[in-house]
Amino acid sequence: MSRYFRELSVAAVLALMLSALAVFAPSFFSPAPLLSRLASEVPALVVALGMAVVMIGRQIDISVGSIFGLTAVLSGTLLANQVPLPLVLPLAILTGALFGGINGWLVAGLGLPSIVVTLATLVTGRELLSLWQQGRFISLPEGVQWFGLGQTTGQWTLIAVGLLLVTLMAWASRNLAAGRFIYAVGSDPEAARLAGVRPGAVTFGTFVLMGALAGFAAVLNLVQSPQVDPKAGGGLELKAIAAAVIGGVAVTGGRGRLWGVFLGLLLLTTINPALTYLRVEAYWEKAIQGTVILLAVVADRFQGNGGAK
Amino acid sequence: MILAAFLVAEFILFSATGRNFLQPDNLTNIVRHSTEIGLLALVMMPVILTGGIDLSVGSLLGLCAVLFGKMVQDAGLSPGAAAAVTLLVGGIAGGFNALLITRLRLPPLIVTLGTFSLFRGLAEAITKGTATYSKFPDSFLALGSATFLGLPTQAWVFVAVAGVIWILVHRTTFGRSWRAIGFSPEGARYAGLPVERRLAFAYVMAGVVAALAAIILTARVTQARADAGTGYELLAITAVVLGGTSIFGGTGSVHGTLLGVAAIAVLTNGLSRIPSIMGVSRELSGVLTGALLIAALAGGVLMKFLSERRARRQTSATPSTPSNA
Amino acid sequence: MKRLLPILACAALALITGCGPSESKPGTSAPGGPAPAGKKLSIALLPKSKGNQYFVNVKKGADKAAAELGIELIFDGPTNTDPAKQNEIVENWITLGVDVIAAACENRDGIATALKKAQAKGIKVLTYDSDTTPDARSFFVNQATAQGIGYTLMDTAAKLCGEEGEFAIITATLTAANMNEWRKNIEARLKEKYPKMKLVDTKPCDDQKDKAQQETANLLGAYPNLKCVMAICSPAVPGAAEAVKQAGKAGKVKVLGLGLPNENKAYVKSGVTQAVILWKVEDLGYLTLHAAAALAKGELKPGATSYKAGPLGELKIEGTDILLGQPFVFTKDNIEQFDF
Repeated sequence: MSRYFRELSVAAVLALMLSALAVFAPSFFSPAPLLSRLASEVPALVVALGMAVVMIGRQIDISVGSIFGLTAVLSGTLLANQVPLPLVLPLAILTGALFGGINGWLVAGLGLPSIVVTLATLVTGRELLSLWQQGRFISLPEGVQWFGLGQTTGQWTLIAVGLLLVTLMAWASRNLAAGRFIYAVGSDPEAARLAGVRPGAVTFGTFVLMGALAGFAAVLNLVQSPQVDPKAGGGLELKAIAAAVIGGVAVTGGRGRLWGVFLGLLLLTTINPALTYLRVEAYWEKAIQGTVILLAVVADRFQGNGGAK
Repeated sequence: MILAAFLVAEFILFSATGRNFLQPDNLTNIVRHSTEIGLLALVMMPVILTGGIDLSVGSLLGLCAVLFGKMVQDAGLSPGAAAAVTLLVGGIAGGFNALLITRLRLPPLIVTLGTFSLFRGLAEAITKGTATYSKFPDSFLALGSATFLGLPTQAWVFVAVAGVIWILVHRTTFGRSWRAIGFSPEGARYAGLPVERRLAFAYVMAGVVAALAAIILTARVTQARADAGTGYELLAITAVVLGGTSIFGGTGSVHGTLLGVAAIAVLTNGLSRIPSIMGVSRELSGVLTGALLIAALAGGVLMKFLSERRARRQTSATPSTPSNA
Repeated sequence: MKRLLPILACAALALITGCGPSESKPGTSAPGGPAPAGKKLSIALLPKSKGNQYFVNVKKGADKAAAELGIELIFDGPTNTDPAKQNEIVENWITLGVDVIAAACENRDGIATALKKAQAKGIKVLTYDSDTTPDARSFFVNQATAQGIGYTLMDTAAKLCGEEGEFAIITATLTAANMNEWRKNIEARLKEKYPKMKLVDTKPCDDQKDKAQQETANLLGAYPNLKCVMAICSPAVPGAAEAVKQAGKAGKVKVLGLGLPNENKAYVKSGVTQAVILWKVEDLGYLTLHAAAALAKGELKPGATSYKAGPLGELKIEGTDILLGQPFVFTKDNIEQFDF
């Protein structure tokens, strides 16, 4: 029971919020808007899952927004030049993985601190993108939106992809050797090394995975609208980190469950529309989000097993 | 050392290719424009020295700027009194970070990420986003635009703060305990250092100086807005790390940080004066700053690796020397 | 490799030091004007931010005028909305030694100090797109006043909604100064003329299309009686339209906004977006540079009542405002003719 205390408490807060909405703003649950709201958060979920893996491995990746933006523009350009989506999707994932690989090499290969490395790649990527695209939108050809499936089917597909990915990654993180290695490296790299795990390889792998997921997320995002905005992905890193932290991932590494991250993101992304539905003025949004993050870490501290070292 | 050479190279390159780069007015501009980020970098340095980080300074700058503006314009306080209150608020905000970090032992990265949103959010809530404050007396605005004894007024403030922090870091027990905490907090605790108090001091100082930077920025731009200081935390961190302070804590110097601030400021200014790249200089200096940061980090690692290898080869070579000779 | 190095170095140096021979030659063009021979006029154009399609189009027009008149055009601006950056760039230009500064001001009062400093050094100053305080510049190239924009937006919205019902605004950020100016005027017009209409909410989209889409979707759900979404930053217009389309409310909820025709063509033609309001952005850049050159050469003097800007013809000057004309409303019937 207490093992899942964090997940349960996030779920409880979420339930409380949803029931308040059910009373004060029942229209929050009307199916069509709810569906499109959930579908539009799937890309953020994919990135948050990657972020959680990186953080469990005791690192952090601030550059995800830039990876996301660069892959979005690259994929958009390819699609606009009549390259078919089934070909663009693996290319986007590959491109993302490549950027992640650069981060991973700098962090794991050279032993540089991830926060500074990814800060540098965030800024470099963003400015390069602005030089390259100058804010120009890219129009996508017909048949790309919703994978050519129509809106409702497309949205369900996105949600299914998101759920499948959480299930898969949550299972893998617990049951595959590679998943356990990440926890091992995150809780104590030296001990992991003595146990025969190569911490460098594991860290490199988490960054490549993060990049690949950011590239994947960029495609999941661009199918939801007929144009690509080169500014897409700005601020995504904060959302992903916040979702992971609220979901119980320890910034000190080695602890956290991906289902918790899923709940954390649900909670985080409910706040903003909830404020709209409850007719709270937008001026308070950032302050409330900051408070929620702080409350989540403070709660983490008082949690039974809060043995963050 | 490398950084100082880089700075000299910048000067040579820009005075050769940049238009009017060495004009005294331009050098004054560089100093004026980098004061606020320089101040933030100066207080970010001790925080990073302890192995921590403070992402909230830019947001706090915005919050303090609108508070200061509101007090002067709406409450009719004199700039002096308003400044005192603003500095106090900065200290309290820094204290709030410190409380969460030291009492609850929460990681600084995540605490200050939360207050990063919180402080900016409060600034927006106070102004409802729309209010800006621009009615300040000229005597106050002189802080941002006048010169005193040949130097921009704010440069004197900067020199004073830099002096105090240099002494703190390099000549007092504060600096020694910050380094010790950065190396090993547990070790520092066993050695009998008041770890919590010393840590708290670094974060409170960051808050107070962020408030000071807010006042100086307001005087220079003659306006206070809720989005003042957006992104400054990144520039400050970049300057500190570029200046040779280890992001893991434990080692670093204030003069290195100052060089880091200067290197970035000169780069941005100089690039915008080279005719053929003027149009893209802002983006380019962003890209170069990022690349420079990575190069500085990688260079550091490489040097360490090489010197270790040399040391290893020397020790292993010594016994075999006779047979070779 | 060793042989390659000097070549690379030369190439790098050439790249850095000059953008071509035209730079070093004394001004061969500059028709008619009494420009001092031997030195090209150097005009600095300040956008509110770079990497923004609106200002990219302004620059296009400015480039055209610069090429025609033989002017050196310096285009530089902040890459984000940092309010202090514009001041720095202007102060930087003063020491760079430019002849004219033409600024689109993000901060009406804030930038005045820097512009006045430039004037004191003998640099001519004019503003375009959004003005500073009148004493800090000679002329304002006025494509549409904040009042003109706010009123046109509100009037168009009222017409679309039949002068009654709820509407919401999507803005870039809550701190964007010009949009706050527009919002003030929208609200003033609303109070004055349309008592049966109600502004229910204003949401920021961080200048991102996808965020505007999400915010609009939320608004549509939260306010089922919403009749109109007004998007006042350019990425928000297609974002809002996409949300309305996805909610199946195309035509029922009207969309209008300030945006570029190209980004909105599909929505306007399919009837999701009813009206896109903007002026001819390239003309604004062209006129600004044209007027700046005339100001430097002494052809445009305070007190003038009209100005002839090449192919744009004779334009009226009201006070110190050079008027480009009224904002233009792009609709289904005319949007196809425009490409920017």
